[in-house]
This record gives sequence, C-alpha cells and structure tokens, in this order.
Amino acid sequence: MLRNKRIRSTTLNKLEGLLFLSPWLIGFFVFMAFPLAFSLYMSFHQIRITPAGLNVQYRGLSYYKTILFEHGSILYNDLIPFLRQAMFMIPIIVIFALLVAIMLNYKFPGRTLFRTIFFLPVIFSTGEVIQTFYDQGEGSLGFLEQYDLNSYLSVVLPPAWSSTISGVLDSFILILWYSGVQILICLAGRQTIPASVYEAARIDGASPWESFWKITLPAMVPFIFLNTIYTVVDLFTFPWNPIMERVTTSDYGLSSALVWIYFGIILLFLLIVFFGFHRFTRAYQLTK
Amino acid sequence: MNVTNSLKRLRVRRSFKLFRMDRTQITLMILLTAGGVFMILPLVYIFNHALKPYSELFLFPPRIFVQEPTLSNFTEFFVVLRDSTIPITRFLFNSLIVTGIGTFMVIIVSSLCAYPLAKHRFPGHKIAFSIIILSLMFVPEAMQIPRYVVVARLGIMDTYWGHILPHIAAPVSVFLMKQFMDQVPTELLEAGKLDGAREWTVFYRIVMPICMPAVATSAILTFQSIWNDASTSVLFMQNDAMKTFPYFLSTITNNLANQVARQGAAAAAALIMFLPTLIVFLVFQRKVISTMAHSGIK
Repeated sequence: MLRNKRIRSTTLNKLEGLLFLSPWLIGFFVFMAFPLAFSLYMSFHQIRITPAGLNVQYRGLSYYKTILFEHGSILYNDLIPFLRQAMFMIPIIVIFALLVAIMLNYKFPGRTLFRTIFFLPVIFSTGEVIQTFYDQGEGSLGFLEQYDLNSYLSVVLPPAWSSTISGVLDSFILILWYSGVQILICLAGRQTIPASVYEAARIDGASPWESFWKITLPAMVPFIFLNTIYTVVDLFTFPWNPIMERVTTSDYGLSSALVWIYFGIILLFLLIVFFGFHRFTRAYQLTK
Repeated sequence: MNVTNSLKRLRVRRSFKLFRMDRTQITLMILLTAGGVFMILPLVYIFNHALKPYSELFLFPPRIFVQEPTLSNFTEFFVVLRDSTIPITRFLFNSLIVTGIGTFMVIIVSSLCAYPLAKHRFPGHKIAFSIIILSLMFVPEAMQIPRYVVVARLGIMDTYWGHILPHIAAPVSVFLMKQFMDQVPTELLEAGKLDGAREWTVFYRIVMPICMPAVATSAILTFQSIWNDASTSVLFMQNDAMKTFPYFLSTITNNLANQVARQGAAAAAALIMFLPTLIVFLVFQRKVISTMAHSGIK
C-alpha cells in the first residue's frame, strides 16, 4: 500500500516536470529543431526558389568541399583573424566582469547608481547603438596613437599577433560594452557567498588577498564558467561578426554548409571551455 | 597584542571618518567612475546624435557631443511619418502588442522549462540541457527559410502570432534561468514541500522570487531582441498593416538611392526606437538590484 503510493508520487513528479517543460519543448521542435534539420538538409542540396515552389537538387558533400578545400577564402580569410581576436577578447571580458562585480559588491556611497551604469551595456549589446558606433569608428581609445604602442608591438611580436593585440586594444571600449550580462551574472554569483564565511576567515587571520583566492574565486567558478559560455556564444553569433556577414540568402545550400561548419567550430571552442573547467574543478576538489 | 592592533585600526578608521569614506572606498569610487564614463558613452552619444544638424552628422572623426543642437531631425522625421500611407500609430501599436505579449510568454515558458531542468532528476534531463546549449550556438540567419515554411504551414502568416511564436523557444533565457536556479538550495524547496506546497506553489512562491535577477535580465534581453527585430515583418507579413515599427524605420533610409538624404530622420528615429528599451531597462534593473540585496540565498 505504502510502496504503491510512493511509486505513484515519483511518476507524478516526473509527469509534472514534463508538464513544465512541454511548452518550451513544443516551441523548440517547431521553431528550432525542424528548421535546424532542414538547414542541414539544405547544405547537401542546391535550392532554387521558382514560381512553382522549391527546386531541390542533390549535391552531396560538394558545398563542404568547396568551402573547406577549394575556395578557402570564403571561410579562412575572415575566420582566422576573428578567432585570434576572440581568444583575447573572451578572457578579457570574463576577467573584467569578475573584477567589476567584486568592486560593485563593496559598500560605498552611490553603489546603486554605479550598478545601474555598469548594467547599461545590457541594452547596447544587441542593438543598433554599438553598430552605429562601430561604423563611425568610435570606440577606440585613441591612446594607441598617443603612445605609439603599435610600432612597439610590431617590433616585439610577429606581425599577425601584434595586429591582433592592437586591434583588441583599439576596440577596448567595445569589449567593455559586451560585458553587461556578464557583470550581472558575476554580481549575483558574488552575493551567493555568505558574509559570515569572510568573517570567519578574517578571524582566522586571512588577508583579503588570501580570502579572494581561497573563498571568492572557488565559489565563483560556476559563474565564471557560465560567463565564459555566454561570452563565447555571444561573440560568435553576433549578427555582424565577419562570418555571419558571409551568410547570405543568394545561395542557400552554400550558406547552410558554411553555417554548419561554423557551428562545428563554435562547438569545438565550447568543448575546450567545458573540458578546461572540468579539469579545474576536479583539481580544486582534490586539493580541498 | 591583537587588542592594541585593533584599537589602532579603530583610531585610523575614525580619522578617515572625517571624509566619511575609507581609503578602499575612495579607490573604488575613482576606478568605477573611470569605467562608468565609458559605459555611459553610448547613451550620451545616441542622444547627442539625434540633435546634430546635417553639418555635424557626417563629421569625421565623429564627435560625441553636439555643437549646435537642433530639433530639425525630429521635424524631418515627422514629415516622413506624414507621407506614410499607413498611420504610424498602427506600427507602434503592432510593436507594443507583439513585444509585450512576446516578452511575457518567453519569460513564462522559459522559466517553466528551466525549473525542472535545474531541480528535477527526470530521465534525459542532461540531454535536454545539452540540446539547449547546442541550439544557443545556432545563428537565426540560417533558419530563415525553414522558419518561413513552418510559419506558412501553421497558417499564422499576417497574424500577431507570426511575430510572437518564432521568438518563444529562446534558448538564452532558459540557459540563464537554469544556471540561476541551480544555485537555489534544494533544502529550501524541500522545506516548502514538507509544508504541503505543490510543485506549482514551490515554483511560483520560492523559486521565481529568488531568481528575479535572472528573470529581469531575460526580460530586458528578450524585450529588446523582439522590439528591434524587423525580420519577422519582412519574412512573415505580407500585409503592410501588420508590420512593426522597426520595419517602418528601416524603410526610411533603405529605399533611397543616395546615402545622405534622410539621415537626420534616421538619427531621430534611432533615438525614438531606443527610448522604450531604456525605459524597460530602468524599470527592470531596479528589480534586479533590490532582489539581489534581499534574496533568500545568504
């Protein structure tokens, strides 16, 4: 009798979970999963839109071959500089967000105002605002010209990397503007750490520096992880990143193949992030 | 030893109380002000840009501050409005309906989805979550044609649903909320259940209030992505009366042969387009901050 009831309650539990999920799942299958499958299908076919409807012709792997081997310029010309830039931007954004969040967590006059200001990028990041800035060449600090940093960099580093770094420095303000959501996530994460832990550490004689490395950072790891994923995805799917601009509607098959290759690259990036954090948390747990 | 030390520290602190702030606070203020100036820059820029006369709109290098502010851009914008065959209020009304209902539905649907993903151990929850992460990485441009097929088959072309439904399955909000809900202590939920709360009550009364920062963030993000999205109007709406405000704004400059004409109107339109986002942001961010201060996680 009792056992019977327990089984019923667990199945009920599962059903309730499924019930909560179902609206999103339905939407997902209709507006995400099916279109994705369709675009995979398109990447193997040549599609022409005729008055009679879609004219589909099987092309096999030829589009993938074209992009990867024959006409590499479609992908590589834009991709490699972009990847190099992303490798710099992602850590900068994540670390910047973490530092700002920790600063914003201190008590000081005008804290609410400062928090609002640092969340502001949330509304610029997807919008037209940054786009106009970018078009007009704003967003560079102008300090590069002042200190002649460019020529210094080009002496020290190989040309490909020095141009990347000066590009990153050049758009430093833009980088800061990407970090609205990340600051928010970090700040919320910082507040999950109870103040009593810091008090206990202080009583035991830990310096603020030590308590940052021993308390704040380990507790923030899940949020830093979340931020890294968010940043990677945000950066790579930005509507005006160089690869996205290549995705045109003139040749559906080729564009779809390009998107799927690009998807593979993002996936690789994320797998590296996942793997890195996995190693990190495991190492931390061992030392604990 | 320790006592004298702390006494000394107390004395030091008291002497700084003259300025009512200690040294860390002053450093913080300086650092944050320096950063904050850059953060506010786009906001200053967009307001100034709308007030620039033509002679300043095309200056190179561009200036942030306007030298001779005029309202001529707005007059030009209203002239464009008068020439439009469909009254502007119609586009605005469409946009408001679509964005309002859309944002509300996205929040409900994705928080409902995130809750079991974070707090239930049902078979396949890991697969479900990795699917969400995977779909995050897909660019909407790639899905335009298939989506057109879906919308046409569902028979929601030229309806408000055609604007709203494609936005519903938003992986970003689910992802953000799921990560926040992971941090809600399970003990809190169990305590609620022991007191006789059903799933729905636990969700509505405990989980949602704690996750308010995530909800507010998703609301801000969703609002602006739907509000700024002209693509549903281009793809799924053939009837001009069903198109939205951003679509109308994009027609101001797009159909013209030369690049200079109507740029003033476009600058004014950009400001008008931006204002609702700013208002929504100001309303919701207060919620973000106040809830973060008093949330149950301590």
